[in-house]
Amino acid sequence: MQRALVEVLLLGILGGVVGVHVLLRRMAFLTEALQHTVFPGIAVAFVAGESLLLGAIAAAAVTVALLNVMTDGLRIEHDAALAVLIAGSFALGVVVVSRRTGYTADLSQLLFGRILDVDVRQIVETAVIAAAALVVVAVLHRQFVLLAFDRAQAEALGIRVALLDLVLNAVVAASVVVAVRAVGTVLVVAFVVTPAASARLLGRSVGATIAIAVALACMLGWIGLGASFEASVHHGVRLAAGATVVVAFSLGFCVIGAVTWLARIGSRRDAAREVPA
Amino acid sequence: MSNVVNSFGSPFFQRAAVEAVLVGALAGVVGVHVLLRRLPFFVVAMSHATFPGVVLASVLGISLFAGGTGFGLVVVLAIVGLGSVRALDDSSAIGVVLAGSFAVGVLVLSSQPGGSRDLSAFLVGQILTVTTADIATTAVVGVVLLAVLAGLHKELVQGAFDPEGLRALGYAGRALDLVVLVVITVALVTAVPAVGTLLAVALLTVPALAARQWVEGVGPMMVLAAAIGAGCGVVGLCLSAAWDVAAGGAISLTAAAVFLVSALLRSPGSPLSRRVRPASVPG
Repeated sequence: MQRALVEVLLLGILGGVVGVHVLLRRMAFLTEALQHTVFPGIAVAFVAGESLLLGAIAAAAVTVALLNVMTDGLRIEHDAALAVLIAGSFALGVVVVSRRTGYTADLSQLLFGRILDVDVRQIVETAVIAAAALVVVAVLHRQFVLLAFDRAQAEALGIRVALLDLVLNAVVAASVVVAVRAVGTVLVVAFVVTPAASARLLGRSVGATIAIAVALACMLGWIGLGASFEASVHHGVRLAAGATVVVAFSLGFCVIGAVTWLARIGSRRDAAREVPA
Repeated sequence: MSNVVNSFGSPFFQRAAVEAVLVGALAGVVGVHVLLRRLPFFVVAMSHATFPGVVLASVLGISLFAGGTGFGLVVVLAIVGLGSVRALDDSSAIGVVLAGSFAVGVLVLSSQPGGSRDLSAFLVGQILTVTTADIATTAVVGVVLLAVLAGLHKELVQGAFDPEGLRALGYAGRALDLVVLVVITVALVTAVPAVGTLLAVALLTVPALAARQWVEGVGPMMVLAAAIGAGCGVVGLCLSAAWDVAAGGAISLTAAAVFLVSALLRSPGSPLSRRVRPASVPG
């Protein structure tokens, strides 16, 4: 439980920071695609008995490379190329795993992760990769933000746009890879997108948004994990830990969304009252 | 390959083949609209978002199709509503909704005993166990969806290329957008029993994309996409029987292979390359 909490907090920090950049660049679909494309890598590593982390890293690298080839070389639209990659790689993963007997249990373990089973080594790996990703994002923060808001100016200032794109893709890929083992291949996108989207409703600047996203991810992650643990241990209701955390994120988003919406309606009404027609 | 020959005779395989052809053809046609409107991410999202509906339906013992469709419609409205919030673009809205609803599905399922087996069936489908009733549902739904698409064909195509012009002509542009989203959602849910929620995405995007490598008009593209979808269904089933792998996976991989070959053959620099890059076909 304590180890799971540490893992959730690490992923929350990483997801919050990276997520804001993902939303600024409208890369939610890429994140979603990566979480599916690392699946065959993990499946192959699982069947071969290799490290799941290695399999995931290899698959993520192949995805980014293939995406580049398809959009630049074959001139296929970015979103269509991602759809093909998702479909193909997920199918490959299913086929690989289905060759093994008793595959459904393995499959759901890979798909939904086992956050309660994390060991110290996994936490250390997560911490190292998260720290590296965060350092990269912190150092390149200004360039990333400029690129997101004004690509033409970034090019004019002599920033190497293509290289920065590649670096950001790599950071997103690294985040997906570390999160996959804990929360499974289908819920990763929530760690990256949902807290950041909630924070965007509140934050006025990029820095503030990142801070809010990290705070939300950690707080809601802790609440979700606690709720799942409480329900499973004391009330006999089995709630999958990763899914409970994600549901907590989503509820947080709903609450923040409702509050900001009501606030906006309220301020509009005040404004209407102050200026008589 | 003797496995394949043997399995042709079995009623399971015959039913599966009929279902694969129906789903493949329907998804191919609908997939052209997905590409025209740049909706692949929406399809991926809906594949996750209809999942809790399917889970709830199976827990409550009602039809999976009804559950998935009902929940899917709610999610479509949520995405359209969230997408109109100023601070969120469409893709963020889709991301938030898909992650949340999928988690709800997993949560409901995890509280049921013996959940993981059912879960995999939803995710990867069980085409070999389709019943005659499933096939009838697919056929009826398919005919209705195709009738809607055919009836509104001109308006829908113009809506994809020139939404402003459509509105200027006095059409309800938003309502037409919603029609497309609903048609896609229903097609997706129809494909679920055969290939599962995640692989239905493959059938709704890949055959249409492969067809677009060869033809330029919207009509011919739909015909070719339907043929590719149906063909991949049958070939994938045979491969699955021959090598004893999951059917949904084999069908999707076949589709991906067809796309890959099409894209390579038609890529700039290959002998079969198209003369001029079609500038008239966005998205």
